Formats: sequence, C-alpha cells, structure tokens
Amino acid sequence: MSTPVENAADPLLVIDNIYKRFGTDADATVAVDHMSFGVKPGEFVSVIGPSGCGKSTLFNIIGGLLGDYDGEVRVGKERIDGPHPAIGMVFQEESTFPWRNVIDNVAFPLELRGVPKSERQDRAHHFIDMVGLANFEKRFPSQLSGGMKQRVSIARTLVSEPRILLMDEPFAALDEQTRLLLGDKILQIQQQLNQTTLLITHNLTEAVQLSDRIVVMTYRPGRLKRIVNIDLPRPRTSEVVGSDAFGHYVAEIWNDLREEASRGMVDAEASISRRSAARG
Amino acid sequence: MAATGAIAARPRKRTWLDLESGPAPSRSAVLGVRIVFAIVVIAIWEAISASGLFFGDVVPSLVKILASMWRLLIQDAFWTNLQVTALEILVALGIGAAAGIACGIILGANGFLRKAYEPFMYYFSPTPRIILFPIMIMWFGIGVESKVALGALSSFFPIALSTSAGMALIDKVLIRVGRSFRASAWQMATKIYLPAMRVPVLTGIRLGFGLAMITVLLAETKLSNKGLGYLVMQFYQRFDMPTLYALLIVLFLIAGAGNALIGRFERASR
Repeated sequence: MSTPVENAADPLLVIDNIYKRFGTDADATVAVDHMSFGVKPGEFVSVIGPSGCGKSTLFNIIGGLLGDYDGEVRVGKERIDGPHPAIGMVFQEESTFPWRNVIDNVAFPLELRGVPKSERQDRAHHFIDMVGLANFEKRFPSQLSGGMKQRVSIARTLVSEPRILLMDEPFAALDEQTRLLLGDKILQIQQQLNQTTLLITHNLTEAVQLSDRIVVMTYRPGRLKRIVNIDLPRPRTSEVVGSDAFGHYVAEIWNDLREEASRGMVDAEASISRRSAARG
Repeated sequence: MAATGAIAARPRKRTWLDLESGPAPSRSAVLGVRIVFAIVVIAIWEAISASGLFFGDVVPSLVKILASMWRLLIQDAFWTNLQVTALEILVALGIGAAAGIACGIILGANGFLRKAYEPFMYYFSPTPRIILFPIMIMWFGIGVESKVALGALSSFFPIALSTSAGMALIDKVLIRVGRSFRASAWQMATKIYLPAMRVPVLTGIRLGFGLAMITVLLAETKLSNKGLGYLVMQFYQRFDMPTLYALLIVLFLIAGAGNALIGRFERASR
C-alpha cells in the first residue's frame, strides 16, 4: 500500500460533497445534502444538529458502514470504500459483547488481527487503564454501569489505534453529570494521544466543552450551516463550563441551532398528528 | 413477648400473587420444603400400598421396588437395552441439532425465508411425532433406525425455531461493531453470531433432548425388539409391577440428569 505524502496542515479526514438520500424518487428524504468539511491531524471536531438532521447517516457513511452515496470520504488522499482501518468507530448504543469480560472486549480488535494473546492483553490493559477501569478487567458488562460500558467501548476502539476516532453520541444515554465527567476523560485522552477526533452529537455543552471546531448542521435536509471555531484554552477540563467564554459559545451556537431544532419539532409533531388523523 | 413487636414498622402485606417479592427465600427453607414433600409422597404411597386397597402389586411397597431395582441394575439385559436407548437418543439429538441449527441459521439470516416458512414450522411443531411412527417403520424398519428418525424429527423443530428466533434477536449494533473492525465472514460467525446466539440455541437443544427422549421411548413401547421402552413393555406384560416402577424411577433419574447437564451448559454460557 502506498502512503501518499501528507502535510501536517492538510486535513487527515476529508468529507467532500457528501449527498445521501433514502427512499424512492417519488417520496425521497435527503438525509445529507452536499456536506463538506475536513478534520486536521490532532484536531477535535464536533458535528452538531437537531434530531433527525442526518447526523447518524453521516456517521455511518464516514465509518464505511453505509454506501450508495454521492461525494467522497477521504483519509489523507485515499478514498474510503467500506470500513477503513484508519477510522475507529464508537457507537451510540451500548455495544460491548455481553459474553466477554472487559479485557476480552477491549482486546477484540487485536484478536481479529491475530495479535498473540499476551501482547493483546498488555495493549488492552494499557487502554483500560487510560479510561479508568483498571480494577474491572475481569468483570462482565452486565456488572458495569452505563458509563463504564461506554468507556469499555471507547477503550476497545482506541486499542485498534485508529488515526481518526469517530464517535456517535457515545454519552447520549447517560445523565448530565456523568456526561461532563466522561467529557473530562475524553479531553484528557485526546490530549494525551493527540487523537484526531470527530464527534457526532446533539448536545451543546458537550460539543463546546470538547471541540476545537463545531460543524453546525441544518434540519432536513442536513446541510452545513456554519463552522464555529472554539478558542477556549487547552488543556481543558469540565471547569471550562463555568467560564464566560463558554456561555458565549453556547449562546452563539444555540442561536443557530434553535431555528433548526424548532423546524424539527414542528415536523415531528405534524407527522404524529398525521398518523393519528389517519388512524382516527 | 407479644407486645414487643407492636411498634416496629409492619412489613407491607403480601398477597400470594406478588411479583415484587420480599427477601429471597433461604436455601435451607427451600431444601426443607423439598424434603418434606418427598417424605409426604413416600408416606402416602406406602400407606396406599399397605392398605390393600389395590390388587396385588399395582401399588407395591417401596421396599419391594428398591429390591427389584437392585435386581434390575445387576442384569446385563438392563445395561444393553440402556445402551440402545441412549444411543438412539444421542444420535437422534445429534442429527436433529445439526439440521435444526443449520435451518435456524438460514431462516434467521433471511427475513424472506423466515416469513415464508416459519408458520409451517410452528403449525407442524406441536404435532405428536409418534403419529409418523408407522411411516418411519415402513421406511427404516422396526429396529433402531426408525426410532432415531423419529427422535431426530422431534428435536429438529424446537432447535430450528429457537435458533432462528435467537438469530433474529441478535443486537444489530454488535454486528456493526464487527463490521467496523473489519471482521471476516468466519470471524463474524464464530466471534459474534454464535456466541450471541448460544443461550437460545442451548435452550432449543434442551427442549429437543426432552422431545427426543419422549419420542424414542414411546416408539420403543409401541414396536421394537430392544431398548428401555421395550423392556418397560416386557415387565408390563409379565405384570412385574415392582420392576416396572423401578425402571420408571431409573428413567426419571436419567431424564433429570440429562436436563441438568444441558441446563448447566446453558447457565455457564450466560
């Protein structure tokens, strides 16, 4: 495999004019409408948008799990076609293997590659320690809390040492306080590994807390509305949530997002009343 | 003593049908109830036997049954017939499980086939397989083969149905995880699909084992020249009731042990 020459300033991940629609011509929904942006090496970018804006579609396209779209996703100069080893995905749903304990869950990607057992245990241990679960290696997912399970999933993806970490609302199912604390963990890991990260989220504080840049999406069809640079100091912790600048960014992005979110809400309510009218 | 507990908080009153149960029952209490139950059953049995209400050996005393059991267990005839029956059940279960898991995977993986064929399986599945025995005798003769065929047919359905249901219930995100780490088809099958389905598959095998055992023994009592079912009918025709009861007890124990063994696998793999 030839490695194209890459400049440090060039984006590592390129989303180039992605267009995806579902359904037939007569009754098609455009989920993603000509989105383009890039993520530079070491950068943390969030994509934020209201529910139903096509964020998860974008996640699946970048992860190579969804095909049949127009445009390109590139890692460096290489166009991706299916799941790519440079991209490590963390899913929104609880996705640990219930029949494997923590260390075997985390070692899974190494097992697939045929890494010898002692080496994969060592490497899994390193990342389990990084997400703060060193004392839980022999536990099974059923014995862990929701936040701990998501940390197992994150460690499992990190152990495969992806150049780009791609996460889809990994903390959506958790309460606000756990979410802030896990945000700290993510900040710490991201800074430690200088990990290029793309986070899909609908959570404003999470996006501002973690990101260097935020890509704001419109509600259906999902277009790029605006890209906001977050100039908060690094290294960062969740304490930043209390600062004036933080509040400023949240207000600014909410301003963009409010219109989109209310369009989404009106749409959802209309479809519910259509359904109940059809039933009645 | 009576007044001391009056001020203490009264526990919520529980009805006999109460899913929001109180403290877990203690193991010794459960064991105690079991022992008392066994003693009561034995006592009633002995009382009926001693009362002379029934003719001769219809309800023989336990002492007689245990003595017959001893004579039964030292006979070569018992062990050769046990071997025949055990072999029939195991081969039947092996064939039924292999075919059932294969069919279940095909149905589970393909929504169209599942929609098309599953109703047939659900309708045919509760039909007593013994009604096919005459056909099996015509095809395979009165020997071991017809019992194996019938037992395999019995165990096939629950195993196929629970495998296909188990496959359809696999958490889809786990499959996406496998794909995102670029697992090969073989790795997907062995590291995700099979472990994710192990509990329903083992449940199917346990049900299939029970059905295979029922069908094989039933077939042996109908028409055969070997096996424990054949032996049951021999004792019955000789009106050797104590030995018949002894054999039934041995059969209960074998069935219980088989179920417990598979159940242990099932729990261990949870």
